Parts: sequence; structure tokens; C-alpha cells
Amino acid sequence: MSPSPSTDHPALPDWNEVRAALSAAMADRILVLDGAMGTMIQRLGLTEENFRGTRFLDWSHPLKGNNDLLVITEPKMIEDIHYAYFMAGADIVETNTFSATSVAQADYACEEAVYDINFQGVVVARRAALRAEAEDGRRRFVAGALGPTNKTSSMSTDVNSPGHRAITFDELVTAYGEAIRGLVDAGADLLLFETITDTLNTKAGIFAAQRLFEERGIDVPIMISGTITDLSGRTLSGQTPTAFWYSVRHARPLTIGLNCALGADLMRDHIAELSGVADTFICAYPNAGLPNEMGAYDETPEQMASQLEAFASAGLLNIVGGCCGSTPDHIRAIAETAARFAPRKVPNADKLLRLAGLEPFTLTSDIPFVNIGERTNVTGSARFRKLITAGDYTAALDVARDQVANGAQVIDINMDEGLIDSKQVMIEFLNLLAAEPDIAKVPVMIDSSKWDVIEAGLKCVQGKALVNSISLKEGEEQFIHHAKLVRAYGAAVVVMAFDETGQADTKARKVEICARAYKILVEEVGFPAEDIIFDPNVFAVATGIEEHNNYGVDFIEATKEITDSLPHVHISGGISNLSFSFRGNEPVREAMHAVFLYYAIQNGMDMGIVNAGQLAVYESIDRELRDACEDVILNRRPDATDRMLELAERYKGQAGGEAKAKDTRWRELPVGERISHALVNGITEFIEADTEEARQTYDRPLHVIEGPLMAGMNVVGDLFGSGKMFLPQVVKSARVMKQAVAYLLPFMEAEKQANGEASGRQSAGKVLMATVKGDVHDIGKNIVGVVLACNNYEIIDLGVMVPTQKILETARAENVDVIGLSGLITPSLDEMVHVAAEMEREGFDIPLLIGGATTSRVHTAVKIHPRYARGQAVHVNDASRAVGVVSNLLSDETKVTFIEQVRADYAKAAAAHERAEAEKRRLPLEAARANAFKPDWAGFTPTRPSFFGTRVFEEFDLAELAQYIDWTPFFQTWELKGRYPAILEDEKQGEAARALWADAQKMLQQIIDEKWFAPKAVVGFWPANAVGDDVRLYTDESRSEELATFFTLRQQLTKRDGKPNMALSDFVAPEGIGKPDYLGGFVVTAGLGEVAIAERFERANDDYSSILVKALADRYAETLAEFMHMKVRRELWGYAADETLTPDEIILETYQGIRPAPGYPAQPDHTEKTTLFRLLDAENTVGVELTESYAMWPGSSVSGLYFSHPDAYYFGVAKVERDQVHDYAQRKGMAVEEVERWLAPILNYIPNAVAAE
Amino acid sequence: MSRMNPIPVTLVTEPGTLVPLDGDTALIRLKANSGHGHADGDTCVACAARTDVRALLYNLLEEHRREMRPAFSRVVVDASAVADKDQVVAALTGKLPAQALRDHTVARMFYLVG
Repeated sequence: MSPSPSTDHPALPDWNEVRAALSAAMADRILVLDGAMGTMIQRLGLTEENFRGTRFLDWSHPLKGNNDLLVITEPKMIEDIHYAYFMAGADIVETNTFSATSVAQADYACEEAVYDINFQGVVVARRAALRAEAEDGRRRFVAGALGPTNKTSSMSTDVNSPGHRAITFDELVTAYGEAIRGLVDAGADLLLFETITDTLNTKAGIFAAQRLFEERGIDVPIMISGTITDLSGRTLSGQTPTAFWYSVRHARPLTIGLNCALGADLMRDHIAELSGVADTFICAYPNAGLPNEMGAYDETPEQMASQLEAFASAGLLNIVGGCCGSTPDHIRAIAETAARFAPRKVPNADKLLRLAGLEPFTLTSDIPFVNIGERTNVTGSARFRKLITAGDYTAALDVARDQVANGAQVIDINMDEGLIDSKQVMIEFLNLLAAEPDIAKVPVMIDSSKWDVIEAGLKCVQGKALVNSISLKEGEEQFIHHAKLVRAYGAAVVVMAFDETGQADTKARKVEICARAYKILVEEVGFPAEDIIFDPNVFAVATGIEEHNNYGVDFIEATKEITDSLPHVHISGGISNLSFSFRGNEPVREAMHAVFLYYAIQNGMDMGIVNAGQLAVYESIDRELRDACEDVILNRRPDATDRMLELAERYKGQAGGEAKAKDTRWRELPVGERISHALVNGITEFIEADTEEARQTYDRPLHVIEGPLMAGMNVVGDLFGSGKMFLPQVVKSARVMKQAVAYLLPFMEAEKQANGEASGRQSAGKVLMATVKGDVHDIGKNIVGVVLACNNYEIIDLGVMVPTQKILETARAENVDVIGLSGLITPSLDEMVHVAAEMEREGFDIPLLIGGATTSRVHTAVKIHPRYARGQAVHVNDASRAVGVVSNLLSDETKVTFIEQVRADYAKAAAAHERAEAEKRRLPLEAARANAFKPDWAGFTPTRPSFFGTRVFEEFDLAELAQYIDWTPFFQTWELKGRYPAILEDEKQGEAARALWADAQKMLQQIIDEKWFAPKAVVGFWPANAVGDDVRLYTDESRSEELATFFTLRQQLTKRDGKPNMALSDFVAPEGIGKPDYLGGFVVTAGLGEVAIAERFERANDDYSSILVKALADRYAETLAEFMHMKVRRELWGYAADETLTPDEIILETYQGIRPAPGYPAQPDHTEKTTLFRLLDAENTVGVELTESYAMWPGSSVSGLYFSHPDAYYFGVAKVERDQVHDYAQRKGMAVEEVERWLAPILNYIPNAVAAE
Repeated sequence: MSRMNPIPVTLVTEPGTLVPLDGDTALIRLKANSGHGHADGDTCVACAARTDVRALLYNLLEEHRREMRPAFSRVVVDASAVADKDQVVAALTGKLPAQALRDHTVARMFYLVG
């Protein structure tokens, strides 16, 4: 039995001295924290008696496992463990009090012991510290450990009731308060919040600690340590490391860091992130590696130390230690390592407003204006008020979600409505919102005129929120009280220009009140200046009351003076107040807001409560309206209000986009603005006439392009770049541009001939685009070309099936700045590698862009990038990224850093890929075959098709086929992401999707009426049986003579638990068991019509229609394939004659049998198409040819094999080994090298390695 | 994320059960024990994340987001090695208390089909 616990009153440390001593030590060397307590206690093999001691002898609950009790019942044992860590090199040990809160102790009914555990925890640790100091004279420290408790306040434990909370902030403040009192009374040097799983819990702990400190007039240094356990790199409550730091920074912790969870290696990125942002010391104490499957830790002390060496050598550490699984031996090894490296230097953090939801938000100078979403404000939005009063929280959350999707960087939440319990509703809404990661990622602004509502809201958010607002309205005392609490809850604050005498309306009053508030906050409360946002009151103008006329000017001028004279503060305001007198007239209100912001932002306003989805662009406002707005806002003329009211009548009733298109008043604008309007809205109707008019007013035709046309396209580029326009709209804009340029070309030619000078226009850069040899797919490439052209890049489009040599020759002859390659089928991947290697060989160093459906970041990183060291290959996954990538690559300023980023990213991707591949063990072919899929052939008799040989189908009813079209992929082609028909109602993309849909339907009708396409299909069936991994076809049912063989590939992935290694041949009855089986094949095409029509559109400078017709032809080919498959199942083969499925069900593919195509995952070998095409005589029957890469021409074609077995499904062969490739080559009678070339993307080995061996 | 179509999860509890796997299917094998050196029945947040089916499902989403794995439309969870299969079912049907925000995401993104 250990000696009984101490009851003396220990001497309390001077915490300011402790802070100074630790800070000085950390500037000098990396300090060492101890290792795991649990691991050491477990080694002692204690029994229930040890835990009970004398104090808990008759306790009602079993106590074994309540480790914290041991500081009372076995204090010497715990002291010895601490001592062992101190002597192993620890500077700081943590008390054995991880679970010593009333919340966690409830499991053992030990709530009443909480204070004592914390007190004794410090006492035993201190004894060990004194022993160690006596031993070697080195000072030791005791950190009072505070665990996360086992309940969460920022999220629900019930996924079906996300608004529920098992514990409240106030309960946690009480619980932590008690524990902290015990630790502080016993003289802990530090408090350590560790293994944080819920940031809001910790904020409650910080709140409790600071309240105690204030009572006692002390300042105990705080350490904060979070936990990250999954791949997402976020805390358990969903925050990124930086967001976590911003959320607890108000505690002014001595250290911030991470512990538990993952091994040292996996913690590194997160520690590096914290190290980069935190202007305080960093502390890391990972587990001793991840536990392995046998329940032991993998890492020896040496391994752990060497991993942490990487942290230390990178200058990331100030304190290092170990968590679960680490022992004094680990700490000894770590201490020796730490001693060899210099500590991290604490960086300075700029005084910027830093907020956090699940993700951080930093108001840097790159952000001119912060959009605070106003739609979740019951006083500002009638719709939201209705939803909230009706209790429809689901729809109310959607309002919040849309705000974020529309670009709100903060969302304002206000529940000040007389008929509801504002406080309760604020709590409920914030709690529900916390479970929506796509909303909760942004910080919230808790907005109320009632302090108790604000305070209730602050107790619900784990991030760093904004409070809106506090003011001097009720005097200084109340103001200071509120400000201190805002600070204690870790929020930033909006201070309204309001004092004891009222709300500030003039410039002088606004400035005076803000200056007074600033002085109080900064000097008396210690509020960080960068966390102060002044709201100098936006009031309504043009109300008809003369005193109101100067309100706009007062605000704008006050803003300038406040931001000039009060360092680091921000200015915000509720913009919609301004246009209060024009309620119901949205076009006018939008225009007024845009004009007001235009001037206010120039004068220092950097935040505003706005409808993020509804902001007009200053430049795009009608000139007349804009002038009228400026007159009222800037108070430029006495009759401004009257003129505005008069003008406003004309705008009433319009509602954004659609009304504008029908509105012809823009025709009255000056010609430059008409051109700009036509470009932004994609209107071609008047463009030639307008261009002609412009040509007559400019000196040279070129000036029209460089002037109004490029100006308009710049607007389009900006809108697209900021997500306010979508791809189909941009392509329409480009069509307008192209037609205008085409109109000007003859004039430019004539000018050139007349004076013989070259009159080339200045482009942003020359981009060569090509679909690589053997591939015919070009929709994506054309879209990228159009988008780049919109941004003033000159595009040289070499079309499809372009050989490498032609690409390189053209690139050299035209002196291009960038080459872009596109391809859709897998052999194109290899072709791209080839182009890259040739560019390297020929000494190119210009950037190489890679795009197309089968390309990927990983493929580019692993296969293409290494072949082109001189230049840089970059994967561009969609058109919207193309402009950013190209402009970065062509800018002298950003090129180097951009390429560095790409290279770092590719190195990471390649490493991850290698690791992932290494983990996948492949089976030898024989073993894979032994584990083939073996259906029960005895119980299944294949159906005999209605005919053998081939049959051709033509004369399809285009209208009937149209019913079966699956539209979802059509929208994907245009980078509109979502399912049809829901996409049409999508809040963000809906408008663009509906316009595209209307255009598509119009063209579809034309296709049907004018028979643009002549789809054809050829289908064949043959007697067949499987032979090994192949399917043999016979000339007739006697099955004596072989007609052809389809070769298939087998999965070689290691499978577990009896899962088979699939090959397509498994779905066909094997030869020799007396089961006659069959195989079908098909080629369908939308026909060549598409090509001619697309070219016609291109010649007419109508890329939009050209892309549209190609996309529709693709849909027809896919639909015909689906339609024929149905016909085959029900009739031609007839194995599912009784099938009845609706078109929707067919799209979902719920039917029996499959139609895999050669070159796709189930049989990745494109060359198998040769056999299929020969059997079907596809070139003659339906006019479809194969290119040298086995792409089909025309491109809108689909081919495949029919398998009827009920168990048949689409699988992926994935990577294959050398043994299968050799076997396959032999079966197929092809050279191994040739097979390797075609299967390059799926080889699990490097082919050349053979030659090297 | 919450707007995407939920992904069906098939649970395998008996060793050797045949489940078709294809390119659209992701497979998770649950480990037999918490794999950790804590006292009986104890876990820490680190080892919980290694054994909790919800954390593993969440990692699938994350792997896909990072292009570390292809898109998948189905998940097979092999729990044949797990002693307490009811716990897995409870986790997949929203009956096990959530420990992390990711558990809410997983509850919305996945549903148990059998």
C-alpha cells in the first residue's frame, strides 16, 4: 500500500515566472514532455483493490480502469511513473487527471472525488519533480491535464437528431471549473487541454479557466492540444488545424499542438500547418505509431525518435513528447534526438481578422470585401422569417447553404422576431447548422439586438464567430462587460456607432463614437484591434426627407476617417437599409447597393451584410440608372431623389436575368456598351450591325477588337472566374465574339493589303490544342479552347487525330506558348506520354497541358511529368481551371511558384500512388484462374438467339429514341454537375442549365424534323463457349468449326473471403460440359451527319451549336446502344422476353445481362475491337471505322459484346501482371511488346525492366 | 456533400460469403479487435478511428476526394472478423452514438442494404 495522500497546502508557483522561464527555455532548446501514463499503469497489472484503496473500499461501482483514482489510492506508484519520465529526460509531466471531470467520472459515480483527484494529481507529480530536481539540479514542471470529457457540446451523438446536445456549454464550464480549481489550488505550473475532440468543449474549459484566473488575479499558462484521427486531416469536430487554432487563440495559449491519434509520420503535415500559422509555441506528442493488428505498437523508441527527428530538423517543434504506447524508453530516445536540434522560431502573425467555422477565414489584403450572407436574417428576409416561424428548419438550412454556395464568406444569423422565442430558436438553428459541413465551414455572425440571444449563440459555436453587435448605447460599464464576454467566448465583434444619446447619423458623430469605443476596447478590455469591426450605420437615402439626403456621404466619409485613424479595424454595414424606400423594386435596389459599395469599399469598407447571390456589378448597371444612383448616394444634386423615383418606376417588376434578355432598352445604349451587353448575355442578333457601327467610329478595325470586344470578354472572363457565369453561357459569349471578329476580318485584310503592314493583335498568349493521334474525341478540347479564347488567348486548334510530329512542327513554326493535349480513350494516355517524351527530346520547354476523360492527376504525375523534365506537364481537369492554369504558367511573376506547387503536388501524388500500388498484392495467373467465377451451369440453360450471323438496323425513329436519352451525362459535358432533372432546379446552376436545356430541346426538335442524324446499328449472335479465359465462337450450332475468338483478361488482385477473380469468359458456359451458349456483339452509330453539321456551325463561327450538336450525337449513340440492348434482351436474343422496364429504369440498368466494350474496364484491350468489327463487317454495314488507336470514327458510336448470364456484371480488370500478359500474347498470337503497348495503362510492372534484366 | 445520392453498404458477417465486387465497389475489412494496448474494453480516439466502420467509410470519401481511389457507387463492409457484429450494424443504422462530425456525414452518405 502506498503512503496516504497529502493534505498539506502546497506552495503556489509564480505563474508569470513559470511562463517566462518556459518561454526562455523554449527559445533555447526543444523541451520534452512525458509519455503515456495508461501504458505504464497497465504494466503494473493492478487489481480492483488497488483502485479502491481505503477511501473507496465499499464503493457501489467497480472502479478498476478508473486510472485517475490511483493518485489517491496508489499515489506512490503514479509518482514513480512520473519520476521515471523525468529521469528519462522529460522537462514537463502531465498529471494523471485525464478523466477527472464530473462528466467523465459519472461512469464510476465518482463525481464527488473530482476536486481531490485533480489536487492529488498535482501533488504526486510535484513530488516526483522535486525528487528529479534533487537528483540532477534541472528544473521540472507539472502540467495539469484536462481531457476532452466523453460528451460533445458542438455536435449531437444522435445522427437522426443532429440538433440534440448531450451536454451544454454551461455544464462544461462548471465541470471544467471544478477540475481546474483542483489543479490550480495544488499549484500546477500549467494547464494542458489535451486530446481535444470537440473545440467547443475546450472553449468552455478556457472560459472556466479564465474566469478563475480573473477571480484570483492570476494567469496560469495554458497548453492546448488537439487530435486528428482520420484522413481528412480535421479534428473530430470537423475543423482544419488552422480553424482549430483560430478558435482557441483567444486563450493566448503558451503552446498549441496535437497529440494522440495517428503516428508521428501522419501527424507531420498538420503540425507543419499549425507551425506556419500559430504565433505561439508548438507542442507535439503523437502515439508510438499506430497499433498493429496484434494489439501492440509497431514503433520502437528508436523508430519513434527518428520520425520525430524529421519534425525537429524541419524546425517545427518547441515541445515534444509521446502519447499512447510511449514509455520512458521512448521519451529517452526522443529527448536525445530533440537535444540535437534547434527549437522552432515563433513567427509573428500580422494583425488580421481571423475567423473560423470548420475552415479558417483570414481577411487578408487579397480580399477586397467580405460578403456576409444576409438571407438567414428574419428581419431582412421575409422568406426566412416564414420558414423559421413555421419551424421548417430543413428549408431554413437550405437558405444558409445557398448563401455559402453563392459566395458568402460569413453568414449572418438573426432570429429577432417578436413571435418566436429568439434565444431558443438561435440555439436550435445553430446546433442544427453545426451538423452541415457545407454550411458550417464558414464562420457565423451571431446577430441580435438582445445580449442574451447573442450569448446563447456564442455558447453553441466551436469556431471563432462574429458578434453583431455591441454598443455604448447602455453606457460604458455594460459595453465593457459585453466586450469582455465576447472575448472570453473567443469571438470578434461588430461595434455599432451608437451611444448613450443615440445612433450616429452624421460623419462627426460616427467618427467620435467609434474612436471612443476603440479606446475602451483596446486599452481597457485588451480587445485585439483587428477583431473590431465598426458599423457606422447605413441609413436609407432617397426617402423624400431632406435630412436623409447626405446619409450615404456621411457613411462613406466616416468610413475613411475611421479606417485612417484607428489602426487594424474593419468597417461593416447592413447594405439593404440603404434602399429601404425602394422595397419591391429589386433592379433598383441592386443597383443602389452596387453603387454604394463601389464608393464605400474604395474608402475602407471591407465587410458588408449582403445578399451574396444578388449583387450587381457596378460596370454592368445601365448608365442612366447608375448615374441616378450616384446622384442620390453621393448627394450630388437636390432633385436626385425625384429623378430616382421617376426612373425607378421604369425598372419595377423586372427580376434579373430572364427579363433582361427580353428587354430591348439596351439597344438605346452607346455602341460599346451594346457590344458588352451582347457578349455578357450571349446575344448574336445585333452583333454584326453593332460591330459595323463601332468600326465606323474607330480608326482601325483592330481597335474594335482590342477596345469594346475585349472589354466585354474581360467581363465575361471575370464573371466565369468568380463562378457567376457557367460554361454554356461562356460558350455563347464566345460565339458572339467570334462572329464579331469574323465580320471585321475582311476589313483587316483590306487594310493590310492597302498599307502592307502586319496588323496582328496583341494576345495574352498562343495556345496550341490537339486531340492526339488515334483519338477523335474533341468536345472537351473545344470547350477549353473557347474558354481560353474568351480570355484573349490565341488558339491554334489542330483538330483530332493529330500526330506528334505535326504538333511539334506547328508549335515551333507558330512559336506557341503552351501546348494542350486532349484524349478520351486509354491508348491516348500513352500517346500523350509519347508527345511529352518527344518534346523533351526536341528541346521544348513550354508548358504542356493534359486533359480529357481518361487522364488524371495521378497519371500525369506518374507517367507524363517524369518524361518532360525540361518543361512542365500540368493536368487540367476541367475548363473552368484552364484559364487560371495558363495565366499562371505564362506570368513571369507566378510561373515559378506555380510550377513549384505543381511539382510538389505531383511528387506527393506519385508517392501516394506508389504506396497504394505496393499495398495491392497480385496473384499469379494460375492462382487467379483457380479462383475464377464459376456459376452453377447445371442449373442454367442459356437461351438460343432468334438468329445467327449479323443483322443491320436502320430507319430509326429519332423522336422515339429521344425518349430514352439519359440527360445527366449531357449536362456533365457542359460542366454542370448534378442529376437531370434536378439540375434544372439547382439554385446555383439552374438558370444556366435551363437555358442550355431549352437550346438542346430546340436543336433536338430540329434534328428530328430535319433528320440530321441517320443512326444505324448492326447486331450479331454466334454459338459460343468459353475456353479457358477466352470465348470461342463457332460457325454453327454443331460447334465443330471455330469462327473467331474473343480474348479476355482476368483480375489478378488478391481477393479475400472467396471473392472470385473475374474474367468476362466466366459468364459463358465452358466448352465440354454440354451446355450450348452464345455471345452477341454490336456497333451502333449516330452516323456521319453530326460531323458535317458540326463543321457547318464551326464555319459559321458558332462553336456553341457545334459543341451542342456533338453532345447530342453522343447522346443518340448511347441511347441507341441502350435501345438496341433492350431489343436484344426482349426480342433478338430474347433471354428476357418478359422484361418490362420504363425508360427511367433502363437508365438505371436494372436489367439482366451486360454489354461491355473492348477498351473499357471489364476488357481493357482496345484491339479486341478488330475481331468485333470484322465479325459485324461494321465498316460496310454501318459505316464505322477504327483509327490506329482503335477509336471509332465517327466519334458518336458505341460498340460492345452481349453477355446474357444473369450473374453477369460490369467489373474492372485493374492491373495485370507479366505472367498474364505473356500468356495473353501467346493466346492472341501477338508480340508481347505489342500487347504491352496496348495494355500500358494497366500493366503492374515496368515492361522495359525485362530487357534490363 | 449532403446533396449527393447516398451510397448503399452491404454488410458481410459470415466468413466466405460471396459478394460481387466490381470497379464501382469499395471494400472495407473490419479488424477483429481494437488493436490497442489499452486496458480491457478501453479505446482512445486514435484506435477508435481505426476500427469504427464510420471512420473507415469517411476515409473512403476522403480518398476519393483526393483522387486516391476511383469513384464508387457501392461499399461492401466485411465484418466477418468482428466479434460484436451488432455494434457494426448499430453504427451503420445510426444507432451508435456519434463521436465525431464525420459520423453525421457518414450517416447521410451511406445506408445499409443487407
